[in-house]
Amino acid sequence: MTFDERLMEINRRLGERGLDRIVALHDGAHFIEKPDPILVLSGFKSLGPCAVVLERGGRVTLVVTPAWDAARAAQGRPDLHVIAADDVVNGLAGVFDGPGAAGSVGLAAMPFGIAQRIAQLIPDALPADAIVFDAARRKTDTEIAHAREAARIAELGYRHLLDIARPGVTEDELAVELRWHSKSLGAEDNFVLLCAGPHNKAVAPSHGRPLQAGDIIVVELTPSYRGQLVQICRTITVGTAGDTLRRKYALVVEAMHAGIAAAQPGRPMADVCRAINDVLEAQGYGEFCHPPHIRRRGHGLGFGSIEPGDVALDNATILEPDMLFMIHPNQYLPETGYLLCGEPVLMTAGGAVTLTAQTATLAEIEL
Amino acid sequence: MQTMHPTLLIGPADWDAQLMPLDEFRARLDSLWRANPQAGGAIVFGNAADHAALSYLTNFTPKLEAAIALLSRDGAAQLLVGGGVNMIPAAKPLTWIGKLLPLRSAAKAVGEWSTGLPDGSGVMMIAGDAMPDAMHRDVVGAFGSTVAVDDGTAIVQAQMRRKSKRERAAIGAASVILGEAVAGLRQAKDGGITAAVLAAEHAAWRSGAQDVRSLFSLDGGRTLLPFDGPVEMAVDPLQIYLAVRQAGYWAEGFVMLSAQPQAPLIAAEAALQAALAQVAPGATPAALAQTLATATPGFSRHPVTTPSVIGIGLALQQDVAAAEPLIAGEVLSLRVGVSDPQQGAAMVSAMVAVTETGHDIFWSAV
Repeated sequence: MTFDERLMEINRRLGERGLDRIVALHDGAHFIEKPDPILVLSGFKSLGPCAVVLERGGRVTLVVTPAWDAARAAQGRPDLHVIAADDVVNGLAGVFDGPGAAGSVGLAAMPFGIAQRIAQLIPDALPADAIVFDAARRKTDTEIAHAREAARIAELGYRHLLDIARPGVTEDELAVELRWHSKSLGAEDNFVLLCAGPHNKAVAPSHGRPLQAGDIIVVELTPSYRGQLVQICRTITVGTAGDTLRRKYALVVEAMHAGIAAAQPGRPMADVCRAINDVLEAQGYGEFCHPPHIRRRGHGLGFGSIEPGDVALDNATILEPDMLFMIHPNQYLPETGYLLCGEPVLMTAGGAVTLTAQTATLAEIEL
Repeated sequence: MQTMHPTLLIGPADWDAQLMPLDEFRARLDSLWRANPQAGGAIVFGNAADHAALSYLTNFTPKLEAAIALLSRDGAAQLLVGGGVNMIPAAKPLTWIGKLLPLRSAAKAVGEWSTGLPDGSGVMMIAGDAMPDAMHRDVVGAFGSTVAVDDGTAIVQAQMRRKSKRERAAIGAASVILGEAVAGLRQAKDGGITAAVLAAEHAAWRSGAQDVRSLFSLDGGRTLLPFDGPVEMAVDPLQIYLAVRQAGYWAEGFVMLSAQPQAPLIAAEAALQAALAQVAPGATPAALAQTLATATPGFSRHPVTTPSVIGIGLALQQDVAAAEPLIAGEVLSLRVGVSDPQQGAAMVSAMVAVTETGHDIFWSAV
């Protein structure tokens, strides 16, 4: 699927809903869990609050803040009508000069100060998030190519981590080095969630704790290449891993592969989660397959649409080719603490295919 | 200054009680309560993109998800942080507040907290405009109709204007790192744009930066771009914007490097020096801007460096009132940008603290 084909699909859905236009909004605070309709509709990753107006018929207007950044948008998408504005609401006001039914996308996630003004500008707009994000549940050919490159960068970053992690280096130092390293490889961003300890309760943002011998490092490396995120989840021991940890990690890896095998076109996402849980429950870890130990077994990958959503028991989304998402058991076990293993997968007609060259294994840093 | 916002804030953000002791935060809170005697409590929002007020009162940097501080006049404080209960241990080192709860039950926590406020007292909402619309509705709804909610954002912003001695030291330290980043840039400038920017960023990270942001120009300073992929070519002149954060506090700088004399750069540097000489208590941002304009005849003002005088500290940009006289303790970024269709463009800047007798320059491109 191409970008333009997806835009036509969104336009078709607009007509089905009886809308004349949709107003899509993003505040410029890019976050892994927050979908970005601007990126979906225009391919533009904004610095500040930004809006897209998609008219039925296909005309796209992009309102860019800060005003000086409009030149970048216009150069990247010369086919769009780009409006430079220092205030996204004021910029939008000039676009609304005709009658017709409007829908809004991304409004609930906008900052209150902007959302209230938008609501006054388009008081009757209906929430239309699904029109955009559901249509973008399958990645375009370009997004898939970017995902492959992001996966390559993630794996190189992981190798770099194995080179630099040693006792005395702080979690923060590792995280900033990894982000810098991935940028040197072409990633414009990287969600580096990394922490360590002898018994982790979760994976969390890094802080100033220095690594110690015997630590278990858990890390999510999530580079973004031209706006497309891909993640790998890995676990590393500082020193030699004990037998218990090896066995438990093998169990989590087995669960992950069960999930990957269950990811088949036509099956609901919930089946992937269930397949992972089955492996763990069979070994007596049923109580650890639910919050607070685990909330989900994977997730979609933005920054555009984060469909097909979470790998969770309550996700009935039917899997289709060209969907991209994470499968990560990421399991807390009482004997070892939290263990990370996860791969980005692309749905194909034959099932889920990992985008990584090497899937997760327990790594050790020699002391 | 708007830069590309990263998906996760990384870098050292632990609370350092030596650098910013608890007494500093108590003094800030005392000042807050004095400014609004009717308020029994304050609810302070911050997210990864906008958390200056939250950091000012709690030291907390919301690296991952948003956070809400619930502060009571009697001294009780709690912080609602993103993620489940298992994420709380990772958040604890970042703040002086001892009671941390998951943000997922924000409305419930806010409702319970509000019942403990003194009868008849109101609540200040600080940085509420940055709260997601849906969350704002839930939180305000949790107060019910009996508690008056006032916007206290302006009070905190006014407090944040005059930096304490410790804050000025923190901004000075960030400025030193900025200087090291620029030195890294100079060394690597002939190796291509991306190599130069990466060298600058690496120098900053290695010096203990909490965050680093950059923008660069491919067209001699007419426009600025965020990193979107490697650019191997070298350019002359090389126009860069760098922002460095350390211990919560920002320093920023516009730098232009060139092997040849550049008329726009010469004009911008002269203007910056003229304006810097005028920085002192009583001078107004409007007067400084006027000096910058009159010192660059024949050039247009560059849109990127507008406004030319901003406050800086926990916020990368805090707007200053053009007609409001400067006060001792303020820290400013003074930026001058010029452009001309024939002669090209240039942007330079300086970090400057207003003192009782004049100013201290923390960092300058000149």
